[in-house]
Amino acid sequence: MLFLQLVINGLQVGALYALIAVGFSLIFGATKIFHFAHGATFTIAAYVFYSLYSVQEVHWVLSALVAGLAAVLFGVFLDKCVYAPIQRHEGSFFTLFVASLGCGIIVQNLIGIIFGRGFVSVTTPLSQSVELFPGLFVSPLSGIAIICAVLAFAVLQTFLMKTHIGMALRSLSENPELIRVYGLSPRQLSSIVFALGSLLVVPAAILSAASSGLNPAMSHHIMLISLAATIVGGVGSLRGAAYAGLLLGMSENIALLYLGPQWSEAVTFIVLFLFIMFRPAGFFGRAIAS
Amino acid sequence: MAAYIINLITLMSINAILAVTLNFIMGYAGIYSMAHAIFFGVGAYTAAFVALNFSASFFIAFPIAIIVAAILSLILALPALRVRGEYFVAASLGLQVLGVTIFSEWKSFTGGLGGIIGIPPVEIFTYEVINPLEFMLLSLVCLLLIVGYIAVLSKTSFGRNLKAIRDSESAAYALGKNVAIIKTLSVVISSSLAAVAGALYAVYLGFINVESFTLDTSVLLMAMVIIGGAGTMLGPIFGTVILMLLPSLFSYMWFLPQTEIGSIQQIAYGAAMVLLMIFRPGGLVGSSKKQEAK
Repeated sequence: MLFLQLVINGLQVGALYALIAVGFSLIFGATKIFHFAHGATFTIAAYVFYSLYSVQEVHWVLSALVAGLAAVLFGVFLDKCVYAPIQRHEGSFFTLFVASLGCGIIVQNLIGIIFGRGFVSVTTPLSQSVELFPGLFVSPLSGIAIICAVLAFAVLQTFLMKTHIGMALRSLSENPELIRVYGLSPRQLSSIVFALGSLLVVPAAILSAASSGLNPAMSHHIMLISLAATIVGGVGSLRGAAYAGLLLGMSENIALLYLGPQWSEAVTFIVLFLFIMFRPAGFFGRAIAS
Repeated sequence: MAAYIINLITLMSINAILAVTLNFIMGYAGIYSMAHAIFFGVGAYTAAFVALNFSASFFIAFPIAIIVAAILSLILALPALRVRGEYFVAASLGLQVLGVTIFSEWKSFTGGLGGIIGIPPVEIFTYEVINPLEFMLLSLVCLLLIVGYIAVLSKTSFGRNLKAIRDSESAAYALGKNVAIIKTLSVVISSSLAAVAGALYAVYLGFINVESFTLDTSVLLMAMVIIGGAGTMLGPIFGTVILMLLPSLFSYMWFLPQTEIGSIQQIAYGAAMVLLMIFRPGGLVGSSKKQEAK
């Protein structure tokens, strides 16, 4: 029964990780910007939701919408005001990464100053777990997490495959020059990618706030998950990132059978390490080995 | 006041050792490690263990710390050989997280969250270095030796090979350079010298715990290197001095909330990193034109 419980928890956490990882992978794949502040987007969305829903007691739909808006604005702001100026003179991986890391540090500490560095939790009517079988507790949030993830991926897939902009976004990762030839602006597309990628973490941020609480330093964990899932899934493959997110959430929870919860990040690292050593191309990606 | 300045200079030289060694792999080899604080920690815990259990001699505790860190750094070198820069950031981030977990869980060796107390002062041939002024000189000498060693190393063919790999790994490989060995060596050198800083730190304070070796430290070290100028000789030292003066500067600004000094300091260097990358990617010491380091 414990095993089944962990599998269900694993599915829930995995679904949220998948959303986070796909957001990062989408941005990194299309723009080649190492968006380390993706974790900060997550914290911003989660804390905006917390302060509206739990502190100001605003209706959850409105809180979620504002949280989504904040995340999108932050993502697009970074793209326009930080990454674009850097890319104008040179766009090396290192420069973009450092700038992004700096933004992450600023956000983490601002949130720490505003909301305190401690742990806060968001209680919703759905947070309460129900005992389905003796010894098996399931919160409605697990179901919602999985449905959210599946829905988000279905919408994203349709958008990328069927619409004109979606096709342009996919070609951005292949050949930015050709996009210019077609009369589209790679800069504009890049902002759309950032908006989309940032929007994807919002459901994950809200659901993790409601199920396990928040603290300002969690952005590092989010980044570790995003990076690990992107590599394990194969760089440039959204499907891979989603499966890898699920795999990481699952292994983190199954490992609880043998190890204490303080080892969960270590498990993520071991999975990542094994992939880097034995299959650096990930599930579906092109080889990234030197 | 004098005691305060001596303490500050001692801590600055310890941090400068870390920044210089991190710069060696970041600026010269293009290996962006977010796990440098782990080797700082390995050096500190090993030196503390040796000093408490066997001998506090400089010529025993320090070499053992260096050797242990060198061996453990091979764990970092393995993924560095398999993947290029971007992906290595992820691996080192993971290693940093794993290391902190081990530091706080392996209670018999590291003392867990409580840490290790009562580490004896270091001895140089039966002479105990307790006087802060003497210890400051010892750290400065260590810093100078390490800076000198790295300066010499970067002028040799080994240093030129490193820069070649940083600028184009494929081209270096095509010219017949043994990329794997050169990269591994650079990681081993950098990590084992970081252990010197760790050992100094442990015998200086007499107390260490996991708080000093977290991701925040790794990021701070990275900020020191970047703000000063990655890939330059003086940049990391310059960056260290600036970043270590920040907290005392902020405490003079009475209008800032004193309980938030730590956060304000982090915001300041976060903002400095962003602005530098937009306007002067080479860092304060580096060239203002196109950045040399990729």
